[in-house]
Amino acid sequence: MTTPTGTLRTDEPASAVLGTLAEQGATGALSTETGIVYLAAGHVVHVESAVTPDLGDLLTHSGALAPDGWWEAIDQAGRRCRVGRQLVDSGHLAAGALELCHLGALFDAAYFVLAHDGPALRFRPGAAHWLGAVRSVPVETVLRESRRRRELLHRIWPEPSVDRAPLARVPGPDAADLPARRGRTLAQVDGVRTAAQIATALACRTFHTLVELRRLAAAGLVTPVAPLLPVPTSAPAPASAPAPVFAEPGPSPRPAAPDEPETALLRRLLHALEAL
Amino acid sequence: MANTETALKECLSSIDGATAVALVDYTSGMALGTLGGSKDFNLEVAAAGNTDVVRSKLRTMEHLGLKEEIEDILITLNTQYHLIRLLKGRGGSGLFLYLVLDGSRANLAMARHQLRRIEADLEV
Repeated sequence: MTTPTGTLRTDEPASAVLGTLAEQGATGALSTETGIVYLAAGHVVHVESAVTPDLGDLLTHSGALAPDGWWEAIDQAGRRCRVGRQLVDSGHLAAGALELCHLGALFDAAYFVLAHDGPALRFRPGAAHWLGAVRSVPVETVLRESRRRRELLHRIWPEPSVDRAPLARVPGPDAADLPARRGRTLAQVDGVRTAAQIATALACRTFHTLVELRRLAAAGLVTPVAPLLPVPTSAPAPASAPAPVFAEPGPSPRPAAPDEPETALLRRLLHALEAL
Repeated sequence: MANTETALKECLSSIDGATAVALVDYTSGMALGTLGGSKDFNLEVAAAGNTDVVRSKLRTMEHLGLKEEIEDILITLNTQYHLIRLLKGRGGSGLFLYLVLDGSRANLAMARHQLRRIEADLEV
């Protein structure tokens, strides 16, 4: 039996390990730093990521399902790994609606797990997800789609930190007349929440939210809040603490390194030229 | 209560003149399901290409400041109709059904009506 078990060699990226597992027709759960991919007979049946809203969040926040209905299904069928089936059988949800919502959550999570291809950490053979079988997808499709999504987002605005960092509004640019969905997304940007948290609040798929947020970043309306670490200590510290940007009425719109506005301007210029 | 596969099958079997159908995510251009098609008619390519049609229409509406939503888009060829129906769902599901109809056998009004019914099974 050549199926990798337990701790894996950490130099191999998750996508390569997944490819091998698919060839072997493996069943189990592959963990990476950012999430878990569940396989059944070499096909992907579910992907969980710490940073994307899960199926339950999507269904209950959107109002498609009452939270009671969701928890009831988990109580009744969680141990048997048949929660999905239970939701449909109990009449809470149409099978097609469940599948589409599940596929949405699966590909969203896969983007975060696979697009920034980190090392695979652990494979637990035989492990199954409590949701149970909804619809399986070939590993190759999941890998291809994750790559394609990364390229799509890169074309909109080549700054991957928008995906994960807390986001803040940039004061100044006129935000009126935005399309409805982009306006709703912008309204959720508060200097604290990340893209995934915004997606959860809107009960919207994470990828759709990422597209809108990258467009907002490209338009100069939203910027990732810089991490706390690289503030030079020699500078007069108190004023430069990276608080939520929109709260400061001062002239400096970005709490990051001093040369960043120029970089951002150049990037926006490059983007505009490419779009011509 | 249909799953996506039976919904697609129903499109082909219950709609007169339907020859191919696809369910597509128009934010990413990914086909979540396809049925029908042939060697000469690659549905994956059609799905990706029609994503651009939908996106471009949505963008045009944004530029015009129209706050309406697209129900469906009809494209008339010499011998075929292509019907694109956007699934609404709560908060916009970002999906569309793409239906290819044989122009000589199809009844457009019936096709639109039936598509609307099938769509109801897929919406969250």
